[in-house]
Amino acid sequence: MHSHHHAPDGATLRIALFAGMVEIAGARHVEVPWAGGTVADARRLVRAAHPTLAPLLDRSAFAVGSHYVADDAALVVGDDVAIIPPVSGG
Amino acid sequence: MVKHPAGYADGVLSGVAIQHTPIDPVALLAAVGDIAAGGNVLFVGTARGITDGVITKSLAYEAHEPLAWETLEAVRRQAIARFSLTACGIVHRLGLVVAGEASVAIAASAPHRREAFAAAEWLMERIKMDVPIWKCEEQDDGGRSWVHPVGAGRPGGVP
Repeated sequence: MHSHHHAPDGATLRIALFAGMVEIAGARHVEVPWAGGTVADARRLVRAAHPTLAPLLDRSAFAVGSHYVADDAALVVGDDVAIIPPVSGG
Repeated sequence: MVKHPAGYADGVLSGVAIQHTPIDPVALLAAVGDIAAGGNVLFVGTARGITDGVITKSLAYEAHEPLAWETLEAVRRQAIARFSLTACGIVHRLGLVVAGEASVAIAASAPHRREAFAAAEWLMERIKMDVPIWKCEEQDDGGRSWVHPVGAGRPGGVP
């Protein structure tokens, strides 16, 4: 289920962005160096690397695959991680 | 037994769809029909062409599709249990939706109307809080902005 991607400069966690976060970051993904940790750790790393994402990031959830995950959930390299900012469907 | 058209059938098959093609609300309503249902509510959300005096030409919808599908199916099943529905179907559109066109449709059937009305309302609230779909408003003057409502808490209800 999880596909491991090529990480030439050490392990990184690849995280998908959506909607307004794509516009702010100018990319559909961000990558952070990863030696293991939780969603809360990933939040801190993304915030440090991309301060302009911080306001939306604080109001966002995280997902792995097709499920939302809590801040204490562990993430591993290769997980299909996404940041889910406040939604506006309907 | 009433036969359900493919795609919207309740129970064994999926009752949700996320699609780039136009929504057919009448087909959705027909799909939830059942001999045991006495109240059948069809809600259709359309792309609003004017908001606080600002003209919106179209809305562009984007989704985290696997998570959106799972979340829609989860809330649909919750609605069936919570409101004792006989059937329920939800369709959400993605991509460019011109003002006036349907962006979402919910059909809920129950033995009595009160539960069907309540289920449609409850489902729309859940969609607007927890289903990872976003709209980008595209104005007549070329301006565009993604909508991320303030004050609703994080999507999905996770801590």
